[in-house]
Amino acid sequence: MAVTLPEGDLNGRLERYLEGFRNRHGLEESEVEANIVRLVVKPEILPAVLATAKERLGVLHLSFITVVDRVESFELTYELLDLRGGQVRVKTTVEGEEPVIDSITGIYPTANWHEREAYDMFGIAFRGHPDLRRLYMWQDHFDHHPLLKSFEISTKRTFENLR
Amino acid sequence: MLSEERRTENLTLSGRVSGRLANPDVRDEFGLETLDMSMGPQHPAMHGLLRLILELDGETVVRCDPVMGYLHRSKEKISENRMYPAVIPITDRIDYMNNIAMEYGYVLAVEKLLDAEIPPRADAIRALMNEFGRIMSHIPSIGFLLLELGAFTPILYAFRERERIQSLFEAVTGARMMFHYIRIGGVKADLPEDIPEKMWEYIEGLEQRLQPDFVDLIEGNEIFIARTRGIGKLTQEKAVEMGLTGPPLRCTGVEFDVRKHYPYGWYKNLDFEVITDTEGDVEASYRVRLGEVKQSIRMIKQILENLPEGEVMADLGRRIRPAEGDGIGRVESARGEYAVHVVSDGSDTPYRVHYRTPCTVNMQLLQEIVPGHYLPDIMPIMGLIDPVSGAWDK
Repeated sequence: MAVTLPEGDLNGRLERYLEGFRNRHGLEESEVEANIVRLVVKPEILPAVLATAKERLGVLHLSFITVVDRVESFELTYELLDLRGGQVRVKTTVEGEEPVIDSITGIYPTANWHEREAYDMFGIAFRGHPDLRRLYMWQDHFDHHPLLKSFEISTKRTFENLR
Repeated sequence: MLSEERRTENLTLSGRVSGRLANPDVRDEFGLETLDMSMGPQHPAMHGLLRLILELDGETVVRCDPVMGYLHRSKEKISENRMYPAVIPITDRIDYMNNIAMEYGYVLAVEKLLDAEIPPRADAIRALMNEFGRIMSHIPSIGFLLLELGAFTPILYAFRERERIQSLFEAVTGARMMFHYIRIGGVKADLPEDIPEKMWEYIEGLEQRLQPDFVDLIEGNEIFIARTRGIGKLTQEKAVEMGLTGPPLRCTGVEFDVRKHYPYGWYKNLDFEVITDTEGDVEASYRVRLGEVKQSIRMIKQILENLPEGEVMADLGRRIRPAEGDGIGRVESARGEYAVHVVSDGSDTPYRVHYRTPCTVNMQLLQEIVPGHYLPDIMPIMGLIDPVSGAWDK
């Protein structure tokens, strides 16, 4: 079966995406910048926003999920592509030492390993994930999440300590 | 730190905990049971260190569960603790078959953060090297696929080509594998005077050798067809759903190429086609790779014909300190969409670097597509995905 990818003028399409998100979710912090639609959403409505993107607007490809440890909270970036020049960048912030957020594997099945990686590296639990195991580190006897800022390594090279 | 409550919470959230062999001890009505088998991590035909937990019913795979992390070197953590220029050699070691694209993605992300202007000659040289890198990766991929099917000759021809390109790269960059050539603001050095001519000569030769060595030898072969046609059959919907990019996506007929649809650098000025196929099996991925080599040759010729003059390095100062924010660099590596997300906090070192390697994402396909195939079909399917150990483990 063939996949239908979006066609037509890029700017018009980006405007349509922004309209679509605003109409359904009333997002205030949203804008179009170059070829990117930037959205900032609350973690509770994140699955709904991504479902809108995939099912209503036809943004089919989830490129990656980046987690940034801001020490007191975690910033998650979901990067979506419509495969024809348009990008949708959804940001959300999860608070707390042991954060939990809804899994989006039901919407984008490819998120499976992205979420496993995020769990492995940052300890973020994804509610509703079918198979939340560590992706890279040992399965047992390893209680650390290496990309947390609290996981320190001995050699930090900066401009000052070069000399 | 993962406390005990947390562990139980995760258990209830996820269900399964470890990647150990499960031994389900399930027998059907005839008293036959499935067999759990561990394939790898050290396996002569595996593309690096990968362990597959297989559940076999006779010779048919029922469940395939990849276990990764045997080559995990935590490049993202290392990158957070090095200054911006010092991250480039680390990106080299992600996908060691196609290093130039790995450098390119990271450098693009940092340049986006800096808002830097790159001299046109540097852009053209980057694209030139990137296309050579693609040939250098695609041709051995074809060789590896055939090697796994039992044909030894194509890998020798493939490595002959790779070695010759490596010699060209050695003359330009000084290294045969870990180039560290693309720098923030340009490239390390200009092409030596005689190199464009040698590159042209090599490309002309490759064009002639491609037909006898990689088409006539392989394409019509009965064993090759028997082992690859209809194996790893993918539908377009499945491919897009699984987030595939690169040849595995294009062999199903979805026309997506970062160079075409999210153009970067010199690719805006180049004329090329996105190669697609309709079959979506291993044989189709071979045809796509071969077609892409031909397109790369076409692009290299275009670049060499109109190589702009001028500087190859922009002056960005010695100390690179981008303002706060985030930059994403996205390139088409030989294996698919490679993206780097760099988050800056205004200091010398990146606050966070995330590598989206195509291999990690494409490998999810193993879980989905291997069940239902025979055990020996796993190797051609690995050839379809063509993962590299360093890239899937980061």
